[in-house]
Amino acid sequence: MSSDASNELLVAAEAAATGASGPTNGGSGNRGAKRRGLSERNRPLWMLIPGGALMIIIIIVPLLLGIYIAGLDLDQYTLRKWISAPFIGVGNFVEALSHTPLLRSVWLSVSYSLLAMIVTLPLGIAAAVATQNAFKGRALVRSIFLIPYVLPSFVVATVWRTMLQPDGIVDKVLGTVGVHPGLWLNGPQSYWTLVLVQIWASWPFIYLLALAGLQAVDHEVHEASALDGALWWKKLRFVVFPYLKGPLSLAVLIGMLHHINNFTLPFVLFGVPAPSDVEVLPILTYVTSFQSFRFGLSAAMAFVSLVLIAIPLFVYLRAVRLDDGETPGGTK
Amino acid sequence: MRIGKSARLGLVAAFSATTLMLAACGGGADSGSGSTGSDGKVDGTGKTLNVLTGVISQHPEEQKKWFTDIAAKFKAETGANVNFETFASANDELTRIQTSVVSGQGPDVYSLGTTFTPTAYATKAFVTLTDDDWNKVGGKDRFNPAALGISGPDEKNQVGVPFVSRPFVMAYNKELLAAAGIDKPATTWDGLLDQAKKLTGNGVYGMVTGYKDNFDPWKFIWAMSVQAGDPIVDGDKAKLDDPAVKKAYETYFGWLTKDKVIDPNAVGWSNSNALAEFAAGHAAFFPMTTSNSIPTLENSAVAGKYAYAVMPTTPPGKTAPATDKPAASILSGDNVVVADYSKQKDLAFAYLKLITSKDEQLNYQKIFGDLPANAEALKSLDNPLLAPMADAAAQSAATPFTGAWGDIQLALTNVTVQSIPELSSGGVSDSALTDRLKDAQSKSQASLDRASKG
Repeated sequence: MSSDASNELLVAAEAAATGASGPTNGGSGNRGAKRRGLSERNRPLWMLIPGGALMIIIIIVPLLLGIYIAGLDLDQYTLRKWISAPFIGVGNFVEALSHTPLLRSVWLSVSYSLLAMIVTLPLGIAAAVATQNAFKGRALVRSIFLIPYVLPSFVVATVWRTMLQPDGIVDKVLGTVGVHPGLWLNGPQSYWTLVLVQIWASWPFIYLLALAGLQAVDHEVHEASALDGALWWKKLRFVVFPYLKGPLSLAVLIGMLHHINNFTLPFVLFGVPAPSDVEVLPILTYVTSFQSFRFGLSAAMAFVSLVLIAIPLFVYLRAVRLDDGETPGGTK
Repeated sequence: MRIGKSARLGLVAAFSATTLMLAACGGGADSGSGSTGSDGKVDGTGKTLNVLTGVISQHPEEQKKWFTDIAAKFKAETGANVNFETFASANDELTRIQTSVVSGQGPDVYSLGTTFTPTAYATKAFVTLTDDDWNKVGGKDRFNPAALGISGPDEKNQVGVPFVSRPFVMAYNKELLAAAGIDKPATTWDGLLDQAKKLTGNGVYGMVTGYKDNFDPWKFIWAMSVQAGDPIVDGDKAKLDDPAVKKAYETYFGWLTKDKVIDPNAVGWSNSNALAEFAAGHAAFFPMTTSNSIPTLENSAVAGKYAYAVMPTTPPGKTAPATDKPAASILSGDNVVVADYSKQKDLAFAYLKLITSKDEQLNYQKIFGDLPANAEALKSLDNPLLAPMADAAAQSAATPFTGAWGDIQLALTNVTVQSIPELSSGGVSDSALTDRLKDAQSKSQASLDRASKG
């Protein structure tokens, strides 16, 4: 979690930097036609070798191994000599799609991520806008806003689980106003519990990136819009929000992937075996791997979900063109 | 950035692959084999034995001291050093075992929970002890025979050397029982229920258990089913569709929904929550607990007012035991196994001989509360609190020795997990239970089919 957090801070800083340099020049990502000749010919590409080699070892090789394992009938009986485990081709994929709750898990994962994102997005933006102008105690408020984000997932989940237990603090408080909500951690409502806790834990991430985007709005822009007589909503809608497009698209993307990949939260909140309403992808993959020891099958599941998630991701990336420097976030 | 993102996705895809890869990449130094001297003593001078064992979170300081003491004794005996490594959770343990199994290197000696032994056996990565090997450990007859029940699929193929027993028993509140005029806990499940009904009232519940626990539910179902004559696994056939299993679930669920002898909030409790309730004096019986509840109870409101008893061995609906297999508890505790790839097996056996000796076992019991697997040591215990536990240890029955057991255990627990919403709202309908059992049966059978192929 801690390395995750520092990664995200880096990403946020990066986004802020791109945002800041965006409107004036293309920054490092600029592949403007005018400079192409010189800069592309003499680029010191060899400097990519260390990073490239690391990526091959850390990302490409395990990914390929994962795909290979998805073709093996690898379980506790064959694990010891896993290289010689029987190769069954697409057998695991067929089983994953036809005999396991994989598709349902994909649906649960994607829908819960999306729901959490839809709620956290306005929350985060509102919090960022609210703490944009200086006021007494702003630093304190900003720090408090970050608390859910710096707490390890494990702690967040444990605390929420304790609060949401039958007859726990939440039930008691609601009981005093005559509401008896029923079970939080089992049954259909557990899905909403997961969404709720995810929102609580992840809105500061949106807040952080929105804040970074807001910092990038030049002072002159504020002055110019004031001169033009724009009131706060018009200014926010037509002047400030366009600056946030870049950082927030990134935030939505990373946030969604975070939610989809979040294992700790559902695992600690609900335990294993999980109620079927919250059997999200990471839980299903975990149980298949480490409770049933079906390593091949779970690799196939993970690969199917990778593809399923990668398709909309790719379309989205092309649509918002986050991956090239030609359309920086600040463009209106 | 794009690669960064696919990396996150790739991580999911390559989850197991990474584990395997890391193992394959990790280099390791081999150590020479221990030589056995003419006096039968192993000379391990200059060698180091690596031992992986679980961390005892209730007694971290005591465990460290135990490590140092044992290492000193082992050094005096063989001249070799012992290097202890600990794992914090079952998950941690599994990962370690998996990497070692794949890479063929790692600790020489592993400590395993009994129900995990079949899975470990299925990987064929651990030494099956020959008669000669057993002699090096001090002879098979030094162990409580019941404790050997889950060391291997049969007597000729055993990998696990019993280290400690942690049989499950029932704690009860002597004061509450005396106030209700009950002189001792019943020995049938029906009788226990009647007593619990009598004890429920005035803010006290007759019984307490955690329906949300990840293990307790299957232990109840297993015990009641085996007592009724259904072994759950018969050869390579799963028998979760047997009426005995259904009856067990109905009884277990009924305590809460029909008989109301358990606090309705128990649908959200784990075993430790249930223990806390019992410790606060809110319940009269606490079935399915072990000796490691003693430290908690000794420092609680019920200190001095509680005792343990063997859990009922007569299945629900019957008045006398239905089989000659009492199954008072699952055979529970720790086994120690020696890795097949170890280059110093003799040294490993010498270590096992030391830690399973009568004196060391009694010493361990005194510090950590777990019962000895050593027969003589077990017999010599005279603490009255422990007597029922020793009884339960002798009447324990092993869970089926199959690599599929993990899946079956999961399927049994899953029936409870998916029933919790209905448990909380009044009752689990017969059709819902039947459907869930059908699902559990088919999953278990599928897993057993793989096991018989493997």
